[in-house]
This record gives sequence, C-alpha cells and structure tokens, in this order.
Amino acid sequence: MGPRLAFPWLAALILLCLVGNTLVAAGPVVEQEKVTYRLKWLINASTAGDVFALDQGFLSRQGLEVAVKAGGPERDAVRELELGYAQFGVASADQVIRALAKGASVVVLAQLFQVNPLQWIYRADDFSLSRIQDLAGRTVGITYGGNDETIMRALLATVGMNEHQVRLASVRYDYTPFFRNQVPIWPVYRNTQGIFLSDKLAAEGERVAFFDPFEHGVRFVANSIVTSKKMIDLHPQTVGRFTRALLAGWQAAMSPANENAVIRAVTKYDRDTSEAVMRRQLAATRQMIQPDPDIPIGHIDITAWRQTEQIMIQQRLIPGPVNVIGRLEPQQAP
Amino acid sequence: MLHRRVFQFFIVYLLGIGLLFGIKLALNLSDYVIPGPTGVWHTGQAEFSRYMGDVLDTFAVAVIGQVLSILMALGVGVAGRRATWFGSFIKVAAYNVQAYPIVAIAPILFILLGDGFLTRLFIAAMICYFPLLLSVIGIMSEPVVDIEHFYRVTGRMRWQLEVKIRAFENLHKLTTVISGSATLAMAGTIVAEFIAANAGIGYSIRIALYQSDLSKILVALFIIGITLSLYQGILELLGAGLKKAWAAG
Repeated sequence: MGPRLAFPWLAALILLCLVGNTLVAAGPVVEQEKVTYRLKWLINASTAGDVFALDQGFLSRQGLEVAVKAGGPERDAVRELELGYAQFGVASADQVIRALAKGASVVVLAQLFQVNPLQWIYRADDFSLSRIQDLAGRTVGITYGGNDETIMRALLATVGMNEHQVRLASVRYDYTPFFRNQVPIWPVYRNTQGIFLSDKLAAEGERVAFFDPFEHGVRFVANSIVTSKKMIDLHPQTVGRFTRALLAGWQAAMSPANENAVIRAVTKYDRDTSEAVMRRQLAATRQMIQPDPDIPIGHIDITAWRQTEQIMIQQRLIPGPVNVIGRLEPQQAP
Repeated sequence: MLHRRVFQFFIVYLLGIGLLFGIKLALNLSDYVIPGPTGVWHTGQAEFSRYMGDVLDTFAVAVIGQVLSILMALGVGVAGRRATWFGSFIKVAAYNVQAYPIVAIAPILFILLGDGFLTRLFIAAMICYFPLLLSVIGIMSEPVVDIEHFYRVTGRMRWQLEVKIRAFENLHKLTTVISGSATLAMAGTIVAEFIAANAGIGYSIRIALYQSDLSKILVALFIIGITLSLYQGILELLGAGLKKAWAAG
C-alpha cells in the first residue's frame, strides 16, 4: 500500500476513533419515543404537574419525547386521540362519558383532580350558602352546555329543587355581571379564577366565599389522563411509562419543597400570572390533587365516576349507561 | 332565481356532508368525532323547530343590521364620491377603520352595551358595513361619462341626478354587493352570539360545541344555509324587479 492509498485509510480510522470516543463519553444512546399530550385548557397552575414532568425530565428519562400542547375551548383531546393527532390527553369525565356514549374508544389512565375545582364564588358579606336550599330565589351563573350546568342541576335535584326556584343566568368569560353584582353567584375554577377574583374583590374591601358541590354530595369528576384503547392494546409499555412518569412529575410538583421550580416551569408558558398569585394557585391546586395524603396522586375514584355517569343519565345528556367503570384502567403508581 | 339558489345550496351542503361521512367511513371514526347519517337525522328531527326559531332570531337581527348598514354605506358613499378633500377624507377613514377586526372590539361592546339585541345588531351592521361602503364608494366615484356629459354641458346636473345615473348604471353590481352582504350580516350576528350573546343560533352552536355535539352543528348549518339562500334569492329578485321598474319608468 503506497503512501497515497494509506492516507485516506488512516484519516478514516482516526475519525472512527473520535466518533467512537464521543459516543462512549455520552453514554448509551436511547432512542426517544415521540408522543403528543393534549391538555384540556391553557397552561396554568392546574397543569403544574404536566409541565413540571416535562421540564424536570421525568418523561425523557422514561425514553419519551413528549410534545405537551395547551388545550382550549375548541380543543378536544378525545377527538385528537381518535384522529391520531395525540396519543395522550386530558379530558373531563363528562367528555369521556359523552365520547363513550358515541362509540369512541377512550380509556382513563389516572384521575388528576380528586376534588373538582369547579365551584361558585359569592360575596361572603351579602349572604351565606351553607345549604343547597340557600340558593333558592338567587341568581346563579351557569355556562349553558358546560359541566357547571350539569353540576348545578344535579345539586338542585339532590334536594328536590328545580330551576324555577333559582334564577339561572348564562355566563361567559366576562366577569362584569359578577363585579356589578347582577349575577352574585358565579362559577369559577377555585384554584385559578377563584384566586384572581378573590384578589380583585379584596382590593375593594369585599370578602368572598365558595360554594363547593363536593361538600354537598355531588362528586362530579374533573380532569383525568386519557388515551385510546388502541394505544393501550398496541403500546402498553409506552402507556405505562408515560403514566408513571407523568404522575411522578405531579407528585414532585405538588411538594411544597419544589414550589419555586414549579413556578419557574409554569411561568415559561403562563406569563400573565404574577408569582404571588401563582403561589396561592398552587396551594389551592395541591388541596384538589391530593386532599388526603393516604390517597396517591392519580387515584381513580370509582364511586365518583359512577355518580358522574348517573348524573348524566338522569339529565339525559347520554341516552343510557356506558359502563364507564369498565374504561377505567389505572396504571401502576410510580 | 330563487329555486336555483336553493338547489345550489343543497348541492354544496350534500357535498360537504358527504365528504364528512366519507372521511368517517374511510378512517373508521366514531360518532363522537363525526356523527353518522342516522345521528344527524335524529338530531335534525329533535332540534329542527328549536334551531329554526334560533335562526330566525339571528336572521331578524342580521336583516335589520344589513338595512342599517346599507343606509349608512349609501349615505357615506354618496358623500365620499367626490374628488374633494372631504371625499378623500371619507375614503381614507373607511379604509383605515376597516383595518380593525370587529371581533376584537366585540368584547368591549358587550361590556358597554350588554349581551342583548343592541350589541348583536351593532356587530352585524359593522361587519357588513365596511365592504358595502367600499363598493358603494367605488361605484359612486366612477363617472358614467357618456350620460353625465350631456347633463353637465346643458347645466342640468344636480347631485341627486348624478347619484341616480351611477346607481342605475351599476344596479347589477349594487344588487350583487347587497346580496353578498347578507352573508356577512348573518355571519356577523352569529359571531356576536358566539362570543357573548344569550340568544340566536350562534349561542346554540356554542352550547353544542360545549357538548361536543357535531350533529347539532350540522343541523344548524343546514338551517342557516337554507335561510340565507332564500334571502339572497329574494334580494336578487328584488334587484331585477327594481331595474325593470326603473327602466320602464
């Protein structure tokens, strides 16, 4: 082999050694599996565990490259699962039950909120709502078609009241009717809007209180992690890894010791909420994600799911039973 | 003209819904994503009369809004037709104001005017006003030289006559623009209802969206479409009748 021929071989050998060295230094290369996770709403304190799991590498350590996508009023995770745009999502129980009633193949992997954050805010100095009957004759805000309508009707039904005994007022995202006291009982997400509205009213010297359906026996399940039946059948390992990593993320995010890191992670997406407000939102979220330390994060409350299905049947939101219990497939806790 | 409009609408609607059913079949999607024909039919039977009432409510607001916007557009268009400082000011103002999307201003209107009839009417009128105004200004600024020249040299030209000549010579264009603006007025009212009102078909569509019920939305679209087609057909008939009567007179 002449010097002309030997040179390219030598160069290739050196290059190979360099690349090999770099690979050894980087450790074993694990190919990341790409999945999409569609949230139910915009990123805020209610999604702290989701963004924290992504930010702190809980998901990537499980070999998952997850695109966490914010939700919104026109986003529907269950539809995206079926269309293949997402592999995992967050959906409320009523969404899951409606989808099952129409033949969708959706499976619940974990229940994020043990207490539904949907509550009604009112001015504590004006009146008190200690019983459901205290709503009689008052104007109560509901979003027609939303799950607050379903919950309010269920509440009224539990004490034999009907919508003629309260004045139901249609509400949207504009709080003006509440600020003007035209609709004094207003539906809010207790851990996010509830904090913001409390602050607004406190600035005017007004105290607020919350009417919580959970305290009056209505356990209507809120957000849960869902996937498709096809996903769980074809990729059970991925489903297991995803759920475990996500719940581990939630577990860590709900620890007060990690509060600063959680706020940093959420602030990357939610720049409009001040740090002080977010701290209080997180504190309220903790109470709803894990109200009882003995119950693990992600626990599926079967009684609550059964009650949610019953409420929807009674209100004719679905034509008949869908056996939602059969679609609850809790994954192994982290 | 009327039956042609309705027939054309049926073709478009059936093509659209056929495409949806085709996608459902090809991708084996559940009724939650795309409802089946029987689901849509049953929803239609259950909701038709209620949705028809909602559409008529929306339609009434849209028609009043459209009439108001036609009057405003004609008034401002006639004033802005001349190549004077005032005329050019009107044109610049019209072009600039059009740059603001009304849906961005809508929430402010709802806060100021409430979520009732007035706000819906205002938004409907504003959405179809600007395109109408631009067309009217375009038509009214364009002299019909052959005819106007005679009146000018004989000293008999008055502004009313000028407007009449230009309107008559462009009646077909005006009819088309007015007929087209019906769609804008209806869309404006639906958008207003969707954002914040508590009545009308836009509000019902919003509720159906909350309930993830695409069948209801398809039924609503059918009724909106058929109502608009009939209305546009009637407007075109009126335009043709007006031209005939004007020419005869």
